[in-house]
Amino acid sequence: MIQSNALKTQAAPTKQDIAANRFAQQGRWFPWFMLAPSLIIIAFVVLYPMLYSVYISLTPFNLLRPETAAFDITKIFRNYERLLDDDVFWKSVINTVLFLTITVNLEYVLALILSQLIARVTWGQSVIRTLLMVPMMFAPVLVGFQFAWFFNATVGLVNNALMTLGLMAESKAWLVDQPSGMIALMIASIWMNVPVMTIILLAGTLSLPAEVYESAEVDGAGWWVQFRHITLPLLQPFVLIALTIRSLDVGRAYDIVRIMTNGGPANRTQVIWTYAGEMAIRNSRFGLASAMSMVGVVLGVAFTLYLFWQLIRSRIVH
Amino acid sequence: MAKKSFLFIVLMLLTLSIAHAQDKEPQYAGVDKDLTGVTLRMATIGGQPYEAMYDSIKVFEEKTNAKVEIVFLGDGFEIDRYLKTNYAAGTVDFDVAWNHTSFMAQYTDFVEPLNSYFTPEELAVFSPAIIQAATIDGNLQLIPRHADISSLHYRLDLFNDADLQAQFKAKYGYDLLPPTTLKQMYDMAEFFVASGKIRYGTQFAGKEEALNGRFYEMLLANGGNYFDDDLNPIFNSEAGKMTAQWMQDLYKNKLIPADTTNLLWPEVAQNFCNGDVALYLEWPGWYSFFQDKTKCPAIAGNFGLARGPVGAEGTIHTGWAGAHAFSVTKASQNKEAAVQLVKFLTSEAVAYDEAKLGLLPVRSDVWTRIIADANASAVPLDKERLELAQIQIAEDFRAVPSFKDWITFGNEWFPQLQSIILGDVSVDDGLAKATDSIKTLMADLGY
Repeated sequence: MIQSNALKTQAAPTKQDIAANRFAQQGRWFPWFMLAPSLIIIAFVVLYPMLYSVYISLTPFNLLRPETAAFDITKIFRNYERLLDDDVFWKSVINTVLFLTITVNLEYVLALILSQLIARVTWGQSVIRTLLMVPMMFAPVLVGFQFAWFFNATVGLVNNALMTLGLMAESKAWLVDQPSGMIALMIASIWMNVPVMTIILLAGTLSLPAEVYESAEVDGAGWWVQFRHITLPLLQPFVLIALTIRSLDVGRAYDIVRIMTNGGPANRTQVIWTYAGEMAIRNSRFGLASAMSMVGVVLGVAFTLYLFWQLIRSRIVH
Repeated sequence: MAKKSFLFIVLMLLTLSIAHAQDKEPQYAGVDKDLTGVTLRMATIGGQPYEAMYDSIKVFEEKTNAKVEIVFLGDGFEIDRYLKTNYAAGTVDFDVAWNHTSFMAQYTDFVEPLNSYFTPEELAVFSPAIIQAATIDGNLQLIPRHADISSLHYRLDLFNDADLQAQFKAKYGYDLLPPTTLKQMYDMAEFFVASGKIRYGTQFAGKEEALNGRFYEMLLANGGNYFDDDLNPIFNSEAGKMTAQWMQDLYKNKLIPADTTNLLWPEVAQNFCNGDVALYLEWPGWYSFFQDKTKCPAIAGNFGLARGPVGAEGTIHTGWAGAHAFSVTKASQNKEAAVQLVKFLTSEAVAYDEAKLGLLPVRSDVWTRIIADANASAVPLDKERLELAQIQIAEDFRAVPSFKDWITFGNEWFPQLQSIILGDVSVDDGLAKATDSIKTLMADLGY
């Protein structure tokens, strides 16, 4: 092979080149240098408590007995052993998965419908968008109280309305019975959070290129065909972002459940975080509560990784 | 023994005091020192009927020039959580804290022993039995504010209805009078609901320690107990099964509210106030609320009080009891001033105002006053309820087991009892599973 003479005649680096190269190499560290204060703070605020929580989960720590925080090799897996045998904990895991799956999917369907309808509004769309966001402005605790009153067996709005309309003969204990207790929680969560997903999907819909729809119309594609073959596929990245955000939120469900049913009665509506909260705050058993939290975190991380993998796949495909 | 001593002392003091009726006004205590510049912070119980007393704090502030801030008000379970969290985390920033004979065993490491702050004369006016119960390992944990003991509340119009009396006698074979046994209480609840004249035959608060305590008093009445002397759970006994079955049957047959497992004290009181309940066990502190025609027109002047019924054991009446109280925190930066506030809040004048609302006093001087008031009252029940309370305090006082993890035990137990009540599990299976889980819990807690 004949080597190019261009290589032999390449100019030697000048002092400016050397200086620029050194700066470029140093510059690779510059972003990290700028991020360092934030990372240090995050390490203290997130990483240290997380590691401490892992440690505590390996001890029988009881808040009212500080000496139980000491490491005892004979008891390091006791909390996790207790969880394996704890029917209530596994019930709370199942309830959490059911709550997450049903709530997020229903939110998605409703949000998709609302976003498509709002996208078609030509006059007053900004007003509608603002009104849509009203439920988001309420604190989850207030939403919990509101819906607890709605579903109250004695003075609740739902019972009064249904009995007045003749649809029900006697009042129902919505928050006590199964599965109406979980359904009531889902309704409260969906009411509050559909706007979040709607806003994301609406933003995605409005950002879609108009030319694609124009071409489809020229080709004679109707509304349903356009929705199925253009809108939905192009919305995938936004859908996955919305599902990821909402899944993580719902997976951490606490406020609404705590206020409306507190996981009861008889642990019927218990979810992971209300059970962990009860164990930590009401029973002072921080070790066991930390072990529950670890299981919850592992499930959450696994779920997040799966969703992000789906998101990356959808971006590659499209 | 303590209860008999208490009865003797109370009766003796009452006899002497009534014979030499007091003319002077009730006295405040804890207002003799100037506390200018001192701010005291208090975390205490809120809600009906507890908050009326806190209006008197402005008297303390005027007389001592101190400032008092209430940093937390919540129901009994909320205040317990608040206190436990702050005690354990070391973030106590209040001087005076609520306490209770049922909860005090948890707080012993965090409250200041009060023995040295009170003279024997100051302590002598309080119920000796409660002061003795409040002394753990020689340390006085709290100063009692008022006592609670559940009595049977029943609707006079229903029991005095001639038609209902005849129907009841025909069906059940005995007279329609305030029940003296738990079996009779069930029969009457069933009868009244079937008659269509009342929504609920009876009721009880169905969650938290409220449920545990009700179960406990009936368990005792049926001849059982939660624990043996070594704190081994023993409520999976015939008495326990009988008690759990009683509750399950009430729910299954719709004799109690469908949302029983969501009810706490304010809700059950409101149900009775609304005229929806025929008879049930309730605390005496609601008396003035129930007699208020503007708040409870359906039952004001239309209810009676009776001793709690006996259970299967035959002689033990129900009588879940305890005493609300105040303590001074070890973390307080001004314990002397905090003790003054406690003395004020438990003084004769403040306790008398509370007793007039219906709460049972723990001071002998206040007992004297309210009995004299009741003798002068045109409402017979004003006097009858005090006579009843004296008998109950003397003979039926059932305090819950006093060990550090009573609440933790309760939080493990009550959801399982709810499962039994709601019919999710059978009585036998539910109790068997519960006692197993409690054994594991007690082992984990170091018992």
